Amino acid sequence: MQDTWGIPGPVFIRLYVVALVVLAVGYFIHRRSRFRGKADPLIGNLGPQQVAFLNGGDRLAIYAALGGLRAAGLIGTGPQHTLVQTGPLAAGVTPLDAAIHNAAGRQIRTRDLGHDQWVRSALDQLREGLERRGLAISRSDLRALKLWSVGVGTLLVIGVLRAIAGSQNNKPIGLLALAMFFTLIVLVVISKSSRTSTIAAQKGMSELRTRHSHLSPQQSPAYATYGATGAAMGVALFGAASLYSMDPAFAAEAEIQRAAAAGGSGGDSTSYSCSSSSSDSGSSSCGGGSSCGGGGGCGG
Amino acid sequence: MADQYGVGIGWRPEIDGFVAELPGLRFAEVVAESVHAHGDLPAGLSRLLDRGVTVIPHGVRLSLGGAEPVDPERVRHLAAVAGRLNAPLVSEHIAFVRAGGIEAGHLLPLPRSREAVDAVVANVKRAQAELPVPIALEPIAALFDWPDDELTEADFLTEILDRTGAGLLLDIANVYANARNRGDDPLELLDKLPLDRVAYVHVAGGDEHDGLYHDTHTHATPQPVLDLVAELCRRHRPPALMLERDGDYPPAAELRTELDAIAAASGYPAIT
Repeated sequence: MQDTWGIPGPVFIRLYVVALVVLAVGYFIHRRSRFRGKADPLIGNLGPQQVAFLNGGDRLAIYAALGGLRAAGLIGTGPQHTLVQTGPLAAGVTPLDAAIHNAAGRQIRTRDLGHDQWVRSALDQLREGLERRGLAISRSDLRALKLWSVGVGTLLVIGVLRAIAGSQNNKPIGLLALAMFFTLIVLVVISKSSRTSTIAAQKGMSELRTRHSHLSPQQSPAYATYGATGAAMGVALFGAASLYSMDPAFAAEAEIQRAAAAGGSGGDSTSYSCSSSSSDSGSSSCGGGSSCGGGGGCGG
Repeated sequence: MADQYGVGIGWRPEIDGFVAELPGLRFAEVVAESVHAHGDLPAGLSRLLDRGVTVIPHGVRLSLGGAEPVDPERVRHLAAVAGRLNAPLVSEHIAFVRAGGIEAGHLLPLPRSREAVDAVVANVKRAQAELPVPIALEPIAALFDWPDDELTEADFLTEILDRTGAGLLLDIANVYANARNRGDDPLELLDKLPLDRVAYVHVAGGDEHDGLYHDTHTHATPQPVLDLVAELCRRHRPPALMLERDGDYPPAAELRTELDAIAAASGYPAIT
Protein backbone atom coordinates (compact mmCIF):
# COMPACT_ATOMS: atom_id res chain seq x y z
CA MET A 1 0.00 0.00 0.00
CA GLN A 2 1.22 3.47 -0.93
CA ASP A 3 2.24 5.86 1.87
CA THR A 4 -0.09 8.86 2.00
CA TRP A 5 1.72 11.81 0.37
CA GLY A 6 4.72 9.51 0.14
CA ILE A 7 5.41 9.98 3.88
CA PRO A 8 5.01 6.94 6.12
CA GLY A 9 2.43 7.39 8.94
CA PRO A 10 4.87 7.08 11.89
CA VAL A 11 7.21 9.65 10.31
CA PHE A 12 4.36 12.05 9.66
CA ILE A 13 2.95 11.80 13.14
CA ARG A 14 6.41 12.39 14.63
CA LEU A 15 6.95 15.45 12.47
CA TYR A 16 3.48 16.67 13.32
CA VAL A 17 3.98 16.33 17.06
CA VAL A 18 7.42 17.96 16.89
CA ALA A 19 5.93 20.88 14.96
CA LEU A 20 3.13 21.22 17.50
CA VAL A 21 5.54 21.13 20.45
CA VAL A 22 7.81 23.69 18.81
CA LEU A 23 4.88 26.01 18.19
CA ALA A 24 3.45 25.57 21.69
CA VAL A 25 6.80 26.06 23.40
CA GLY A 26 7.65 28.98 21.13
CA TYR A 27 4.34 30.63 21.97
CA PHE A 28 4.83 29.96 25.66
CA ILE A 29 8.35 31.48 25.70
CA HIS A 30 7.24 34.46 23.65
CA ARG A 31 4.25 34.97 25.92
CA ARG A 32 6.36 34.77 29.05
CA SER A 33 8.83 37.30 27.79
CA ARG A 34 6.05 39.73 26.79
CA PHE A 35 4.11 39.23 30.01
CA ARG A 36 6.98 39.47 32.43
CA GLY A 37 6.45 43.20 32.86
CA LYS A 38 8.20 45.33 35.42
CA ALA A 39 7.73 44.92 39.12
CA ASP A 40 6.17 48.18 40.20
CA PRO A 41 6.84 49.14 43.79
CA LEU A 42 4.17 51.80 43.48
CA ILE A 43 1.42 49.40 42.47
CA GLY A 44 -0.33 50.29 45.70
CA ASN A 45 -0.83 53.78 44.34
CA LEU A 46 -2.91 52.64 41.41
CA GLY A 47 -6.41 54.02 41.29
CA PRO A 48 -9.43 51.69 41.31
CA GLN A 49 -10.02 52.02 37.57
CA GLN A 50 -6.43 51.09 36.76
CA VAL A 51 -6.65 48.10 39.06
CA ALA A 52 -9.97 47.15 37.48
CA PHE A 53 -8.49 47.32 33.99
CA LEU A 54 -5.64 45.02 34.99
CA ASN A 55 -8.05 42.68 36.67
CA GLY A 56 -10.81 42.52 34.11
CA GLY A 57 -10.10 44.72 31.12
CA ASP A 58 -12.27 47.51 29.79
CA ARG A 59 -15.49 46.13 31.15
CA LEU A 60 -14.34 45.94 34.75
CA ALA A 61 -12.78 49.40 34.49
CA ILE A 62 -16.20 50.69 33.44
CA TYR A 63 -17.86 48.81 36.30
CA ALA A 64 -15.38 50.22 38.81
CA ALA A 65 -16.13 53.73 37.59
CA LEU A 66 -19.87 52.98 37.83
CA GLY A 67 -19.36 51.74 41.39
CA GLY A 68 -17.56 54.94 42.39
CA LEU A 69 -20.08 57.20 40.68
CA ARG A 70 -22.99 55.29 42.18
CA ALA A 71 -21.51 55.37 45.68
CA ALA A 72 -21.06 59.12 45.30
CA GLY A 73 -24.72 59.41 44.29
CA LEU A 74 -23.93 60.79 40.85
CA ILE A 75 -25.65 58.24 38.62
CA GLY A 76 -28.76 56.11 38.68
CA THR A 77 -30.84 54.12 36.24
CA GLY A 78 -33.66 55.30 34.01
CA PRO A 79 -36.14 53.48 31.78
CA GLN A 80 -34.97 50.59 29.63
CA HIS A 81 -31.76 49.99 31.56
CA THR A 82 -30.33 53.39 30.68
CA LEU A 83 -28.04 55.32 32.98
CA VAL A 84 -29.03 58.78 34.18
CA GLN A 85 -27.19 61.52 36.05
CA THR A 86 -28.37 62.14 39.59
CA GLY A 87 -25.85 64.77 40.61
CA PRO A 88 -23.19 67.08 39.26
CA LEU A 89 -19.61 65.86 38.91
CA ALA A 90 -17.14 67.22 41.46
CA ALA A 91 -13.56 68.22 40.70
CA GLY A 92 -10.77 65.67 40.79
CA VAL A 93 -12.50 62.81 39.02
CA THR A 94 -10.78 60.60 36.46
CA PRO A 95 -11.34 61.01 32.71
CA LEU A 96 -13.29 57.74 32.72
CA ASP A 97 -15.59 59.03 35.49
CA ALA A 98 -16.20 62.18 33.48
CA ALA A 99 -16.81 60.25 30.27
CA ILE A 100 -19.29 57.85 31.89
CA HIS A 101 -21.06 60.63 33.75
CA ASN A 102 -21.35 62.49 30.48
CA ALA A 103 -22.67 59.38 28.75
CA ALA A 104 -25.22 58.97 31.54
CA GLY A 105 -26.38 62.48 30.69
CA ARG A 106 -27.21 61.12 27.25
CA GLN A 107 -29.06 58.17 28.84
CA ILE A 108 -26.80 55.53 27.37
CA ARG A 109 -27.11 51.88 28.40
CA THR A 110 -24.27 50.29 30.40
CA ARG A 111 -23.59 47.71 27.72
CA ASP A 112 -23.10 50.49 25.14
CA LEU A 113 -20.63 52.45 27.26
CA GLY A 114 -17.68 50.65 25.66
CA HIS A 115 -18.71 52.00 22.26
CA ASP A 116 -19.07 55.58 23.41
CA GLN A 117 -16.31 57.63 21.83
CA TRP A 118 -15.41 59.58 24.97
CA VAL A 119 -15.47 56.48 27.18
CA ARG A 120 -13.40 54.66 24.55
CA SER A 121 -10.73 57.32 24.58
CA ALA A 122 -10.65 57.43 28.40
CA LEU A 123 -10.15 53.65 28.42
CA ASP A 124 -7.34 53.92 25.87
CA GLN A 125 -5.69 56.57 28.00
CA LEU A 126 -6.00 54.31 31.03
CA ARG A 127 -4.46 51.42 29.16
CA GLU A 128 -1.58 53.40 27.72
CA GLY A 129 -0.60 54.62 31.18
CA LEU A 130 -0.47 51.02 32.39
CA GLU A 131 1.53 49.92 29.34
CA ARG A 132 4.14 52.57 30.08
CA ARG A 133 4.46 51.28 33.62
CA GLY A 134 4.96 47.72 32.40
CA LEU A 135 1.76 46.55 34.00
CA ALA A 136 -0.19 45.90 30.81
CA ILE A 137 1.16 44.57 27.54
CA SER A 138 0.73 46.70 24.45
CA ARG A 139 -1.74 45.99 21.70
CA SER A 140 1.08 45.36 19.25
CA ASP A 141 2.58 42.76 21.57
CA LEU A 142 -0.82 41.16 21.94
CA ARG A 143 -1.19 41.09 18.15
CA ALA A 144 2.27 39.56 17.77
CA LEU A 145 1.33 36.84 20.23
CA LYS A 146 -1.88 36.12 18.35
CA LEU A 147 0.18 35.50 15.20
CA TRP A 148 1.20 32.14 16.69
CA SER A 149 -2.34 31.02 15.98
CA VAL A 150 -1.57 31.26 12.24
CA GLY A 151 1.12 28.62 12.61
CA VAL A 152 -0.97 26.39 14.81
CA GLY A 153 -4.01 26.84 12.56
CA THR A 154 -1.95 25.90 9.53
CA LEU A 155 -0.74 22.78 11.31
CA LEU A 156 -4.31 21.86 12.07
CA VAL A 157 -5.34 22.34 8.44
CA ILE A 158 -2.45 20.07 7.35
CA GLY A 159 -3.61 17.51 9.89
CA VAL A 160 -7.17 17.65 8.58
CA LEU A 161 -6.02 17.22 4.97
CA ARG A 162 -3.73 14.35 5.94
CA ALA A 163 -6.52 12.67 7.88
CA ILE A 164 -8.84 12.93 4.91
CA ALA A 165 -6.20 11.62 2.55
CA GLY A 166 -5.18 8.90 5.00
CA SER A 167 -8.68 7.61 5.55
CA GLN A 168 -9.29 7.57 1.79
CA ASN A 169 -6.11 5.53 1.64
CA ASN A 170 -7.50 3.18 4.35
CA LYS A 171 -4.75 4.13 6.79
CA PRO A 172 -5.32 4.33 10.56
CA ILE A 173 -5.63 7.96 11.70
CA GLY A 174 -6.30 7.50 15.44
CA LEU A 175 -3.00 9.00 16.60
CA LEU A 176 -3.32 11.85 14.16
CA ALA A 177 -6.81 12.59 15.47
CA LEU A 178 -5.43 12.70 18.99
CA ALA A 179 -2.62 15.05 17.93
CA MET A 180 -5.15 17.25 16.14
CA PHE A 181 -7.23 17.41 19.28
CA PHE A 182 -4.23 18.82 21.17
CA THR A 183 -3.56 21.21 18.30
CA LEU A 184 -7.10 22.46 18.63
CA ILE A 185 -6.62 23.05 22.35
CA VAL A 186 -3.43 25.05 21.73
CA LEU A 187 -5.22 27.04 19.07
CA VAL A 188 -8.11 27.84 21.38
CA VAL A 189 -5.74 28.88 24.17
CA ILE A 190 -3.88 31.23 21.83
CA SER A 191 -6.91 32.74 20.17
CA LYS A 192 -8.98 33.15 23.30
CA SER A 193 -6.25 34.69 25.38
CA SER A 194 -7.16 38.30 25.98
CA ARG A 195 -5.33 38.94 29.21
CA THR A 196 -3.44 42.18 29.18
CA SER A 197 -1.98 42.43 32.67
CA THR A 198 1.62 41.34 33.07
CA ILE A 199 2.85 38.83 35.62
CA ALA A 200 4.22 41.71 37.68
CA ALA A 201 0.77 43.29 37.66
CA GLN A 202 -0.92 40.02 38.62
CA LYS A 203 1.41 39.69 41.56
CA GLY A 204 0.59 43.23 42.57
CA MET A 205 -3.11 42.41 42.27
CA SER A 206 -2.92 39.59 44.74
CA GLU A 207 -1.11 41.85 47.20
CA LEU A 208 -3.77 44.49 46.73
CA ARG A 209 -6.51 41.91 47.25
CA THR A 210 -4.95 40.95 50.57
CA ARG A 211 -4.49 44.55 51.62
CA HIS A 212 -8.09 45.38 50.71
CA SER A 213 -9.61 42.14 51.94
CA HIS A 214 -12.14 44.22 53.87
CA LEU A 215 -13.71 45.13 50.52
CA SER A 216 -14.45 41.51 49.62
CA PRO A 217 -18.22 41.04 49.17
CA GLN A 218 -17.95 38.12 51.59
CA GLN A 219 -17.47 40.67 54.38
CA SER A 220 -20.57 42.61 53.26
CA PRO A 221 -18.49 45.80 53.39
CA ALA A 222 -20.08 49.01 54.66
CA TYR A 223 -19.64 50.86 51.37
CA ALA A 224 -20.98 54.09 52.88
CA THR A 225 -18.09 53.98 55.36
CA TYR A 226 -15.46 53.25 52.73
CA GLY A 227 -16.73 55.95 50.37
CA ALA A 228 -16.74 56.16 46.59
CA THR A 229 -13.08 55.16 46.24
CA GLY A 230 -13.57 52.12 48.46
CA ALA A 231 -16.63 51.08 46.48
CA ALA A 232 -14.74 51.42 43.20
CA MET A 233 -11.75 49.52 44.57
CA GLY A 234 -14.06 46.75 45.75
CA VAL A 235 -15.39 46.33 42.22
CA ALA A 236 -11.87 46.54 40.81
CA LEU A 237 -10.46 43.80 43.01
CA PHE A 238 -13.45 41.54 43.59
CA GLY A 239 -15.44 41.96 40.40
CA ALA A 240 -18.99 42.87 39.57
CA ALA A 241 -20.26 40.87 42.56
CA SER A 242 -19.23 43.91 44.60
CA LEU A 243 -21.69 46.07 42.68
CA TYR A 244 -24.44 43.59 43.48
CA SER A 245 -23.40 43.56 47.11
CA MET A 246 -23.36 47.36 47.25
CA ASP A 247 -26.52 48.20 45.36
CA PRO A 248 -28.35 45.17 43.97
CA ALA A 249 -31.22 47.18 42.48
CA PHE A 250 -28.87 49.48 40.59
CA ALA A 251 -26.65 46.62 39.44
CA ALA A 252 -29.62 44.66 38.12
CA GLU A 253 -31.22 47.69 36.46
CA ALA A 254 -27.92 48.64 34.85
CA GLU A 255 -27.54 45.05 33.60
CA ILE A 256 -24.17 44.58 35.24
CA GLN A 257 -22.76 41.20 34.26
CA ARG A 258 -22.39 39.48 37.56
CA ALA A 259 -19.65 37.15 36.38
CA ALA A 260 -17.25 39.90 35.34
CA ALA A 261 -13.92 39.01 36.96
CA ALA A 262 -15.65 37.47 39.94
CA GLY A 263 -12.65 35.83 41.52
CA GLY A 264 -10.47 38.39 39.89
CA SER A 265 -8.04 35.95 38.29
CA GLY A 266 -8.02 36.35 34.54
CA GLY A 267 -9.08 39.31 32.51
CA ASP A 268 -12.25 38.97 30.52
CA SER A 269 -12.44 39.88 26.92
CA THR A 270 -13.69 43.29 26.08
CA SER A 271 -15.34 44.63 23.02
CA TYR A 272 -12.11 46.24 21.94
CA SER A 273 -9.78 43.29 22.29
CA CYS A 274 -12.37 41.18 20.57
CA SER A 275 -12.52 43.30 17.49
CA SER A 276 -8.75 43.48 17.28
CA SER A 277 -8.26 39.77 17.83
CA SER A 278 -10.71 38.80 15.14
CA SER A 279 -9.02 41.07 12.67
CA ASP A 280 -5.43 40.14 13.36
CA SER A 281 -5.83 36.43 13.85
CA GLY A 282 -6.82 36.61 10.22
CA SER A 283 -8.88 34.32 8.08
CA SER A 284 -6.01 31.94 7.41
CA SER A 285 -5.78 30.76 10.99
CA CYS A 286 -9.48 30.26 11.06
CA GLY A 287 -9.60 27.52 8.49
CA GLY A 288 -10.25 25.03 11.24
CA GLY A 289 -13.64 26.57 11.79
CA SER A 290 -14.99 25.87 15.23
CA SER A 291 -11.82 26.89 17.04
CA CYS A 292 -11.84 30.38 15.64
CA GLY A 293 -15.09 31.78 16.79
CA GLY A 294 -13.52 35.18 17.18
CA GLY A 295 -16.87 36.34 18.43
CA GLY A 296 -17.27 33.43 20.80
CA GLY A 297 -15.41 35.06 23.63
CA CYS A 298 -17.17 38.31 22.98
CA GLY A 299 -20.52 37.54 24.41
CA GLY A 300 -20.31 40.58 26.62
CA MET B 1 -9.30 45.00 82.55
CA ALA B 2 -6.81 46.57 84.87
CA ASP B 3 -5.04 48.56 82.16
CA GLN B 4 -6.32 51.82 80.76
CA TYR B 5 -7.35 51.05 77.21
CA GLY B 6 -9.17 54.27 76.41
CA VAL B 7 -11.58 54.41 73.50
CA GLY B 8 -12.25 51.38 71.30
CA ILE B 9 -14.77 50.12 68.80
CA GLY B 10 -16.77 46.98 68.11
CA TRP B 11 -15.02 45.15 65.29
CA ARG B 12 -17.48 44.04 62.65
CA PRO B 13 -16.51 42.54 59.26
CA GLU B 14 -18.43 45.31 57.52
CA ILE B 15 -16.16 48.04 58.91
CA ASP B 16 -12.97 45.97 59.12
CA GLY B 17 -11.10 48.40 56.85
CA PHE B 18 -12.17 51.38 58.93
CA VAL B 19 -11.14 49.81 62.25
CA ALA B 20 -7.79 48.80 60.76
CA GLU B 21 -6.96 52.45 60.08
CA LEU B 22 -7.55 53.81 63.56
CA PRO B 23 -4.01 54.70 64.60
CA GLY B 24 -4.62 54.99 68.34
CA LEU B 25 -6.79 51.91 68.76
CA ARG B 26 -5.86 49.74 71.74
CA PHE B 27 -8.93 47.64 72.22
CA ALA B 28 -11.84 46.28 70.25
CA GLU B 29 -14.61 43.79 70.76
CA VAL B 30 -15.83 41.03 68.47
CA VAL B 31 -19.08 39.09 68.58
CA ALA B 32 -17.85 35.76 69.96
CA GLU B 33 -20.27 33.67 67.91
CA SER B 34 -18.84 35.15 64.71
CA VAL B 35 -15.37 33.76 65.41
CA HIS B 36 -14.50 30.13 64.65
CA ALA B 37 -13.07 28.35 67.63
CA HIS B 38 -10.50 26.51 65.51
CA GLY B 39 -10.60 27.78 61.91
CA ASP B 40 -8.78 30.83 60.60
CA LEU B 41 -9.43 34.13 62.30
CA PRO B 42 -10.80 36.85 60.01
CA ALA B 43 -7.74 38.52 58.44
CA GLY B 44 -8.64 41.93 59.83
CA LEU B 45 -8.88 40.55 63.34
CA SER B 46 -5.50 38.84 63.05
CA ARG B 47 -3.94 42.09 61.93
CA LEU B 48 -5.41 43.90 64.93
CA LEU B 49 -3.97 41.25 67.27
CA ASP B 50 -0.59 41.53 65.53
CA ARG B 51 -0.71 45.26 66.20
CA GLY B 52 -1.16 44.52 69.88
CA VAL B 53 -4.80 45.56 70.00
CA THR B 54 -6.70 43.78 72.78
CA VAL B 55 -9.79 42.05 71.39
CA ILE B 56 -12.59 41.01 73.74
CA PRO B 57 -15.03 38.27 72.66
CA HIS B 58 -18.58 39.41 73.33
CA GLY B 59 -21.10 36.59 73.53
CA VAL B 60 -24.69 37.11 72.51
CA ARG B 61 -26.13 33.59 72.54
CA LEU B 62 -25.13 32.07 75.86
CA SER B 63 -28.51 32.85 77.43
CA LEU B 64 -27.11 33.22 80.95
CA GLY B 65 -30.52 34.36 82.09
CA GLY B 66 -32.27 31.23 80.87
CA ALA B 67 -34.08 29.02 83.35
CA GLU B 68 -32.21 25.97 82.06
CA PRO B 69 -28.48 25.45 82.60
CA VAL B 70 -26.22 27.19 80.15
CA ASP B 71 -25.23 25.03 77.15
CA PRO B 72 -21.72 23.63 77.89
CA GLU B 73 -20.91 23.56 74.17
CA ARG B 74 -21.51 27.31 73.89
CA VAL B 75 -19.38 27.98 76.96
CA ARG B 76 -16.57 25.88 75.49
CA HIS B 77 -16.78 27.89 72.29
CA LEU B 78 -16.55 31.17 74.19
CA ALA B 79 -13.61 29.82 76.16
CA ALA B 80 -11.85 28.66 72.99
CA VAL B 81 -12.36 32.04 71.32
CA ALA B 82 -11.00 33.83 74.39
CA GLY B 83 -7.92 31.61 74.13
CA ARG B 84 -7.48 32.26 70.41
CA LEU B 85 -7.72 36.01 70.90
CA ASN B 86 -5.60 35.90 74.02
CA ALA B 87 -8.31 38.07 75.57
CA PRO B 88 -8.01 39.28 79.16
CA LEU B 89 -11.77 38.77 79.63
CA VAL B 90 -15.00 37.83 77.90
CA SER B 91 -18.43 39.40 78.13
CA GLU B 92 -22.04 38.27 77.89
CA HIS B 93 -25.50 39.61 78.60
CA ILE B 94 -27.77 39.29 81.57
CA ALA B 95 -30.62 38.12 79.39
CA PHE B 96 -32.14 35.03 77.88
CA VAL B 97 -32.33 34.24 74.18
CA ARG B 98 -34.09 30.87 74.28
CA ALA B 99 -36.58 29.03 76.41
CA GLY B 100 -38.14 25.61 76.06
CA GLY B 101 -36.09 24.97 72.93
CA ILE B 102 -37.36 28.07 71.14
CA GLU B 103 -34.78 30.60 69.95
CA ALA B 104 -36.00 34.16 70.42
CA GLY B 105 -33.32 35.66 68.19
CA HIS B 106 -33.30 38.61 70.60
CA LEU B 107 -31.91 39.43 73.99
CA LEU B 108 -34.88 39.26 76.34
CA PRO B 109 -34.96 40.91 79.77
CA LEU B 110 -35.30 38.95 82.98
CA PRO B 111 -37.78 39.71 85.71
CA ARG B 112 -35.81 41.34 88.53
CA SER B 113 -36.79 38.66 91.02
CA ARG B 114 -34.69 36.73 93.54
CA GLU B 115 -35.45 33.58 91.59
CA ALA B 116 -34.01 35.14 88.45
CA VAL B 117 -30.90 36.26 90.35
CA ASP B 118 -30.41 32.66 91.51
CA ALA B 119 -30.78 31.35 87.96
CA VAL B 120 -28.33 33.88 86.50
CA VAL B 121 -25.82 33.33 89.29
CA ALA B 122 -25.94 29.56 88.79
CA ASN B 123 -25.39 29.92 85.06
CA VAL B 124 -22.60 32.48 85.42
CA LYS B 125 -20.84 30.15 87.87
CA ARG B 126 -21.18 27.25 85.43
CA ALA B 127 -19.63 29.42 82.71
CA GLN B 128 -16.87 30.72 84.99
CA ALA B 129 -15.85 27.16 85.78
CA GLU B 130 -15.01 26.61 82.10
CA LEU B 131 -13.71 30.02 81.11
CA PRO B 132 -9.96 30.71 81.23
CA VAL B 133 -10.52 34.42 81.92
CA PRO B 134 -12.95 36.58 83.93
CA ILE B 135 -16.37 37.40 82.55
CA ALA B 136 -18.08 40.79 82.47
CA LEU B 137 -21.87 40.91 82.43
CA GLU B 138 -23.93 43.39 80.48
CA PRO B 139 -27.42 44.42 81.51
CA ILE B 140 -29.66 44.93 78.48
CA ALA B 141 -32.03 47.63 77.38
CA ALA B 142 -35.60 46.65 78.08
CA LEU B 143 -38.66 48.19 76.54
CA PHE B 144 -40.82 46.79 79.34
CA ASP B 145 -40.56 45.60 82.94
CA TRP B 146 -41.95 42.33 84.20
CA PRO B 147 -44.81 42.66 86.70
CA ASP B 148 -43.06 40.46 89.27
CA ASP B 149 -39.99 42.67 89.73
CA GLU B 150 -38.86 42.56 93.35
CA LEU B 151 -35.53 44.37 93.10
CA THR B 152 -34.43 47.68 91.71
CA GLU B 153 -32.13 47.49 88.70
CA ALA B 154 -29.14 48.53 90.80
CA ASP B 155 -29.84 45.94 93.51
CA PHE B 156 -30.49 43.25 90.91
CA LEU B 157 -27.16 43.88 89.19
CA THR B 158 -25.16 44.39 92.35
CA GLU B 159 -26.41 41.14 93.79
CA ILE B 160 -25.50 39.19 90.66
CA LEU B 161 -22.05 40.79 90.53
CA ASP B 162 -21.42 40.24 94.24
CA ARG B 163 -22.42 36.60 94.17
CA THR B 164 -20.45 35.76 91.01
CA GLY B 165 -17.46 38.06 91.27
CA ALA B 166 -18.06 39.02 87.63
CA GLY B 167 -17.23 42.39 86.19
CA LEU B 168 -19.78 44.81 84.79
CA LEU B 169 -20.01 45.65 81.13
CA LEU B 170 -22.02 48.83 81.39
CA ASP B 171 -23.95 49.87 78.31
CA ILE B 172 -24.39 53.57 78.89
CA ALA B 173 -26.90 53.77 76.03
CA ASN B 174 -28.99 51.11 77.80
CA VAL B 175 -28.86 53.14 80.99
CA TYR B 176 -30.10 56.12 79.02
CA ALA B 177 -32.76 54.14 77.15
CA ASN B 178 -34.14 52.44 80.26
CA ALA B 179 -34.25 55.66 82.26
CA ARG B 180 -35.90 57.54 79.45
CA ASN B 181 -38.49 54.86 78.77
CA ARG B 182 -39.29 54.43 82.47
CA GLY B 183 -39.18 58.13 83.18
CA ASP B 184 -36.33 57.65 85.70
CA ASP B 185 -33.19 59.70 86.25
CA PRO B 186 -30.22 57.84 84.68
CA LEU B 187 -27.82 59.52 87.13
CA GLU B 188 -29.64 57.90 90.00
CA LEU B 189 -28.83 54.47 88.60
CA LEU B 190 -25.20 55.46 87.95
CA ASP B 191 -24.90 56.56 91.58
CA LYS B 192 -26.16 53.19 92.82
CA LEU B 193 -24.13 50.91 90.56
CA PRO B 194 -20.76 49.52 91.69
CA LEU B 195 -18.80 51.62 89.18
CA ASP B 196 -15.47 50.24 90.38
CA ARG B 197 -16.60 46.92 88.93
CA VAL B 198 -17.02 48.28 85.42
CA ALA B 199 -14.72 46.35 83.07
CA TYR B 200 -15.64 48.44 80.05
CA VAL B 201 -18.45 50.47 78.63
CA HIS B 202 -20.60 50.25 75.50
CA VAL B 203 -21.62 53.51 73.87
CA ALA B 204 -24.21 53.36 71.11
CA GLY B 205 -26.92 55.24 69.31
CA GLY B 206 -30.64 54.80 69.15
CA ASP B 207 -33.81 56.30 67.87
CA GLU B 208 -37.20 57.28 69.21
CA HIS B 209 -40.31 55.54 67.91
CA ASP B 210 -43.84 56.15 69.16
CA GLY B 211 -42.59 57.71 72.36
CA LEU B 212 -40.16 54.89 73.15
CA TYR B 213 -36.41 55.15 72.77
CA HIS B 214 -34.96 52.13 70.94
CA ASP B 215 -31.36 51.15 71.54
CA THR B 216 -30.76 50.40 67.85
CA HIS B 217 -26.95 50.56 67.51
CA THR B 218 -27.66 51.72 63.95
CA HIS B 219 -27.96 55.44 64.66
CA ALA B 220 -25.43 58.03 65.78
CA THR B 221 -24.81 58.35 69.52
CA PRO B 222 -27.09 61.15 70.74
CA GLN B 223 -25.74 64.00 72.84
CA PRO B 224 -27.56 62.94 76.05
CA VAL B 225 -25.72 59.59 75.92
CA LEU B 226 -22.40 61.41 75.50
CA ASP B 227 -23.34 63.63 78.45
CA LEU B 228 -23.97 60.48 80.44
CA VAL B 229 -20.50 59.21 79.46
CA ALA B 230 -19.06 62.41 80.93
CA GLU B 231 -21.12 61.99 84.12
CA LEU B 232 -19.98 58.38 84.43
CA CYS B 233 -16.31 59.29 83.98
CA ARG B 234 -16.65 62.11 86.51
CA ARG B 235 -17.79 59.54 89.07
CA HIS B 236 -15.40 56.72 88.16
CA ARG B 237 -13.69 56.53 84.83
CA PRO B 238 -13.80 52.98 83.43
CA PRO B 239 -10.62 51.57 81.86
CA ALA B 240 -12.21 51.35 78.43
CA LEU B 241 -15.18 52.65 76.48
CA MET B 242 -16.19 51.57 73.02
CA LEU B 243 -18.51 52.56 70.24
CA GLU B 244 -20.89 49.73 69.47
CA ARG B 245 -22.29 50.14 65.98
CA ASP B 246 -24.09 47.19 64.47
CA GLY B 247 -25.43 48.35 61.15
CA ASP B 248 -26.39 51.14 58.79
CA TYR B 249 -22.76 52.21 58.96
CA PRO B 250 -22.23 55.90 58.13
CA PRO B 251 -19.34 57.46 56.18
CA ALA B 252 -15.96 57.07 57.87
CA ALA B 253 -15.82 60.74 58.82
CA GLU B 254 -19.01 60.41 60.88
CA LEU B 255 -17.71 57.34 62.71
CA ARG B 256 -14.50 59.21 63.48
CA THR B 257 -16.46 62.17 64.81
CA GLU B 258 -18.38 59.81 67.10
CA LEU B 259 -15.20 58.18 68.38
CA ASP B 260 -13.71 61.62 69.00
CA ALA B 261 -16.84 62.68 70.88
CA ILE B 262 -16.55 59.63 73.15
CA ALA B 263 -12.88 60.45 73.72
CA ALA B 264 -13.74 64.04 74.54
CA ALA B 265 -16.56 63.06 76.90
CA SER B 266 -14.41 60.52 78.75
CA GLY B 267 -11.17 62.50 78.75
CA TYR B 268 -9.26 59.71 76.99
CA PRO B 269 -7.03 60.58 74.01
CA ALA B 270 -8.62 60.50 70.57
CA ILE B 271 -7.81 57.33 68.63
CA THR B 272 -8.55 58.65 65.16
